[in-house]
Amino acid sequence: MKSLAIVVREDGYDKLLTPLAFAYLQGAEGTQVDLLFVNWAVRALTEEGAKAQVIQGEHADQDGWVRQQVEKAGLPPDIYDVIQALKATDNVNFYACSLAASIFGVNEDNLIPEASGIVGASWFLNEKAAKADHCQYF
Amino acid sequence: MSDIKADSKLDTCGKCCPMPIVETNMAMKKINSGEVLEIIATDPGTLTDIPAWCDRTGHTLLESGESDGVMQFYVKKG
Repeated sequence: MKSLAIVVREDGYDKLLTPLAFAYLQGAEGTQVDLLFVNWAVRALTEEGAKAQVIQGEHADQDGWVRQQVEKAGLPPDIYDVIQALKATDNVNFYACSLAASIFGVNEDNLIPEASGIVGASWFLNEKAAKADHCQYF
Repeated sequence: MSDIKADSKLDTCGKCCPMPIVETNMAMKKINSGEVLEIIATDPGTLTDIPAWCDRTGHTLLESGESDGVMQFYVKKG
């Protein structure tokens, strides 16, 4: 696989782990990985939003335990640290959907420097998702 | 105990997916073509991940084994 596009819609600490882990796997192998964060997940592309990610719903009381397990597995337990590790592979790009950014309060001022920018969904779907060898939605 | 002499060793024991493959990729970049990396792992996912990774990336899995839940792989860099 030469390229992988991922659309991340669900936020929450646990729900972000899988797309980030998949991106890390492929990015480390040399695959070009492009992630578009939409809906609530776009807030994970701000430092404050990334640090605020917690496990929600019925598993909320297990947040601390899950973080310990993630650290034991070898991943940084903080979402922002994971994003930085992915960026360090030089093969992973993070994009914020412009609609989601507008709705959920993300702009050029609070966007993390690891993100490549705020982009239109049409651009991502046509230039990244449609041209990628594989596309995933989370 | 294998007779293969590794040029470098990577211990991923205790770590789980994605880290064994991520760290294997990093370790492979540090050795030269023809050299052998020994990988030690406890993540059962490596039993399928490492051989498939070798096939995709052009490296050669010389030998693998498992004992008491510890997996051992010898990979020659292509």
